[in-house]
Amino acid sequence: MAIVTTKKLMSEKDQGQEIISSVAMIVTLVSFAMLFATLMMGFAMFRITSPVWPPAGMTKPSLILPSLSTLCIFLSSMSFIWFEKNIADKRGLIVTIVLGFGFMLIQSLLWHSLSSQGVFVSSGIFPSIIYTFTWIHAAHIVAAISLLFWLLFSVLKENTPKVRIQASNVGKFWHFLGIVWFIMFVTIFVL
Amino acid sequence: MNLYSLYMKLFVFNAHASEMTLLERIKPPLDISTNGHLIDSLFNLTTMLITGFFILVCIGLFGFSYLYRKSRHPVALYVHGTARKHIAIVAAIAALVFMIIDMQITGISNHDYMQVFAKWPKEDADVVRVEVLGQQWAWNFRYPGKDGIFNTEDDIVTLNDLRLPVGKKIVFQVTAKDVIHSFYLPNTRLKLDAMPGRVSKMWVELTKPGVYDVACAQMCGTFHYRMQGKMTVYSQEDFDKWQNEMQNRTTFAMEKENADLYWGWKWLASK
Amino acid sequence: MAFFEQHIHDAPKTFLSKYVFSFDHKVIGKQFLWYGIAFLGLGGMMALMIRWTLAFPGEPFPIVGQFLFPQTNGVVPPDTYAMLFTLHGTIMIFYAITPILIGAFGNFCIPLLIGARDMVFPTLNMLSFWLAFVSAILLLASLFTPLGGAAGGWVSYPTLSTLIGSPGIGQTLWCLALFVLGVSSTMGAVNYIATIITLRAPGMGYFDMPLTIWGLWLTAILNALFLPVLGAGLLLLTFDRVFGTTFFLAGAAATSGSGDPLLFQHVFWIFGHPEVYILILPAWGVVSDLLSFFARKPAFGAKATALAMTTITILSTVVYGHHMYTTQMSPLLTQSFMMLTMTISIPSAVFFANWLGTLWKGSIRFHSPMLFALGVVFVFGLGGLTGLYLATVTTDLYLHDTYFVVGHFHYTMAASVLLGGFAATYFWFPKMFGRMMNEPLAKIHFWITMLGLNGVFMGMMVVGYAGMHRRIYNPFVYEFLQKLIPINMFITYSALLMGFGQLFFVYNFIYSLVKGPKASANPWEVGTLEWQIPSPAPHYNFDVIPVVKCGPHELGNPNLKNGRDFQYQTEELVEV
Repeated sequence: MAIVTTKKLMSEKDQGQEIISSVAMIVTLVSFAMLFATLMMGFAMFRITSPVWPPAGMTKPSLILPSLSTLCIFLSSMSFIWFEKNIADKRGLIVTIVLGFGFMLIQSLLWHSLSSQGVFVSSGIFPSIIYTFTWIHAAHIVAAISLLFWLLFSVLKENTPKVRIQASNVGKFWHFLGIVWFIMFVTIFVL
Repeated sequence: MNLYSLYMKLFVFNAHASEMTLLERIKPPLDISTNGHLIDSLFNLTTMLITGFFILVCIGLFGFSYLYRKSRHPVALYVHGTARKHIAIVAAIAALVFMIIDMQITGISNHDYMQVFAKWPKEDADVVRVEVLGQQWAWNFRYPGKDGIFNTEDDIVTLNDLRLPVGKKIVFQVTAKDVIHSFYLPNTRLKLDAMPGRVSKMWVELTKPGVYDVACAQMCGTFHYRMQGKMTVYSQEDFDKWQNEMQNRTTFAMEKENADLYWGWKWLASK
Repeated sequence: MAFFEQHIHDAPKTFLSKYVFSFDHKVIGKQFLWYGIAFLGLGGMMALMIRWTLAFPGEPFPIVGQFLFPQTNGVVPPDTYAMLFTLHGTIMIFYAITPILIGAFGNFCIPLLIGARDMVFPTLNMLSFWLAFVSAILLLASLFTPLGGAAGGWVSYPTLSTLIGSPGIGQTLWCLALFVLGVSSTMGAVNYIATIITLRAPGMGYFDMPLTIWGLWLTAILNALFLPVLGAGLLLLTFDRVFGTTFFLAGAAATSGSGDPLLFQHVFWIFGHPEVYILILPAWGVVSDLLSFFARKPAFGAKATALAMTTITILSTVVYGHHMYTTQMSPLLTQSFMMLTMTISIPSAVFFANWLGTLWKGSIRFHSPMLFALGVVFVFGLGGLTGLYLATVTTDLYLHDTYFVVGHFHYTMAASVLLGGFAATYFWFPKMFGRMMNEPLAKIHFWITMLGLNGVFMGMMVVGYAGMHRRIYNPFVYEFLQKLIPINMFITYSALLMGFGQLFFVYNFIYSLVKGPKASANPWEVGTLEWQIPSPAPHYNFDVIPVVKCGPHELGNPNLKNGRDFQYQTEELVEV
């Protein structure tokens, strides 16, 4: 009897934790979304008021690297969903982390290839946008990867409802960054 | 007024201008434009309306404070203000404020803005055109000269010295070289931001000859307060005379090599 | 509604964990209060220097001038003047008012008034304060850089705030300081929102929350939504300054000439207009509560007040364009922004009607918190109504960037928020520190402050209408402004009076902290949850989480039998 009551109390508390943390996570993500939305608004303003796009003397960067990184981040989101289904199986999380590093690697290749073509951050509004937006996004990815590591440690230690809540919150952030990257990819590189 | 003169006597030491009454002191600068009175009258109307409303608020605030203080009214009425009657009163106050104050001034302002201040003179109209370039910390003015085209050799270029005729529409196109400035003509009640990279425009028609101030209203650096020009308003004959005189001078002054002098742009046609 | 009951941990023992790195919302609230008051003093000193320069150009600033500006014999130099008004604005808005109302009273009141033991994320809360501390260090450090601190106005419009206009490192530090502060405030906001949604005491619906909590909640929502917008703008500005991007550069100064300084203004005011409401909403909430508490009757139309606050919160996000009429937007946009701005007066009128309705047939006690609350009604009336001139586009063409604007926004953002903050301080001081503040001193403080601030801000509106524009070091180089010398002197005298009045507050605050009479658990006789626990509020607030059974403003019910004229929120509502 006593055991049953404790168990019930525990799960109520966990439910409470889950609701609280998901409310907080949603608010946080809305905040981050506003940050990126402001950047995109600025981009839209430049794009709409500019007579030609990309501005004279600029060409769009090749689509190969950005497409690869999009693929990378898409697969990492998929693997994370796989991991969330059963967090005892840590392979999904490890794949996500590896793909996250892959994304960062491709992004730095992108920056390298741009600067080797003589496109620097200070060479006009279009390069400014490409570099700045990818930098800001990459900073968030770095933060998210450290969150993934934190999650990995928790998962290695225990498999409790608390860790599941943690996984779902970190997952929300990771998927959010994937969506932001997809929007950036489409608006900056493709269109 | 007694308090005012007492204050002037006690606290203001340089009494050189103390003959002015308070009302003269706080009047806005002399209106020398054909449309400045629109802004002044809207200001006065708004003042009347909001003073009326504020007096009502004060009657409520001070009156209730007096009537219902503890010693005079020891037991409060237990009412939540959720009765239909109370809600209706609150809603009615809100609606009345919106209709009497807001809609009225919005309507007038909207009409003035669309029909007067943003109604540009026709492209072929006989107007005086001036290009204005703000820089840290001076105003550059450019008149098209005899040929009527900007950025040619016969342009008249002045620094902090704006000269205009009465009785003719004047169209300014304004931009800035380095930072944002704001082209402020207090005597016409108008100002317009001068922004690097975009040309904005403004028109006025002046009525009274004289010398007036031109100021920069947007923070533009340490010597923002010194970014002062003079606007001399002439009669049409005097203005033509001045222009001819300047014209003769410019032909000598304009050196082809001096790129700084060719800061003008092709006059932008209005849409 | 409480989804779970927070555990009571042991009280911290060491000095560090108790007073410095504390997780306790009450201690963090007090830390924010000290922080805010310190910056209020600094910003106030800056204001006095600004006023001195305007009234007596070329005269050395008395007493401290000789030490601060030895190279000019105590006269404030023009570049320092620009720095002073920039930092006065920045400090007052972000480092004084925000910490006091949102940081201090947000932290202190939210858990107490909703019946929770602490914030939902205590660690985040502590982090939020210490990030604000880091930000303050960054800002103050900018003063000691070679070219001085930021000097582009608190709005810091590019291109003046890019390397073209301000090459010093001070401006970069300013951007970073505000960015860090933004992160800190967003953390706080997330915490507040989550706490209010999830930790309300059982039985407490949203309309059973005190209006103070409504104000703080809506503020937190606006903060979470719009501080990131400012953050993005500041990031781009920092990148322009540090990495040479060209987002805000245009015209002859830009090498590639395709950026747009106007973008920053849009971004800034998308944040900036809600910011006005971020500052004023907590004050509105506090005032709505206090009027009811001291008129000894229920808040008139409390639900309508809460909904009006919500309406304003929503409207505030779509009216920012009225700050930019003189930049010549398209006429259609100008008209729409004018219309939208005007609709704000509907909910504002609802406030005034409800506030006066609360006073109507009350039994008013003029204790110091009430005086300050009434003061807010008065000055906010003036501030709100004078906003009409600036919302109509044609009068704004003349008044934009004049002292009229300065007077207007000081009435709304400084005067009413400051008075609201003082009201809150006098009201919750017993619960914070367990002692009462001195009433006569508080009343002297109130009347001097009222007199001073009306002299200052009314005077500013007068000189503004006479055409005096903002941010000028010496207005009297202009002929049309020379007649305003006596009025400018009057404003300065009023400012000195107001500054003098604050000494009463400082003295009262420190004296009461040490020697004030001990406060009872419920000195003001009101029924919200925090007054049921001892003063000062004990560790983890509530031994037993209270169960809420009625609204926060149940005062003056004639059928109460228990000898009180109010009922606690934990008591079953006595039917009439």
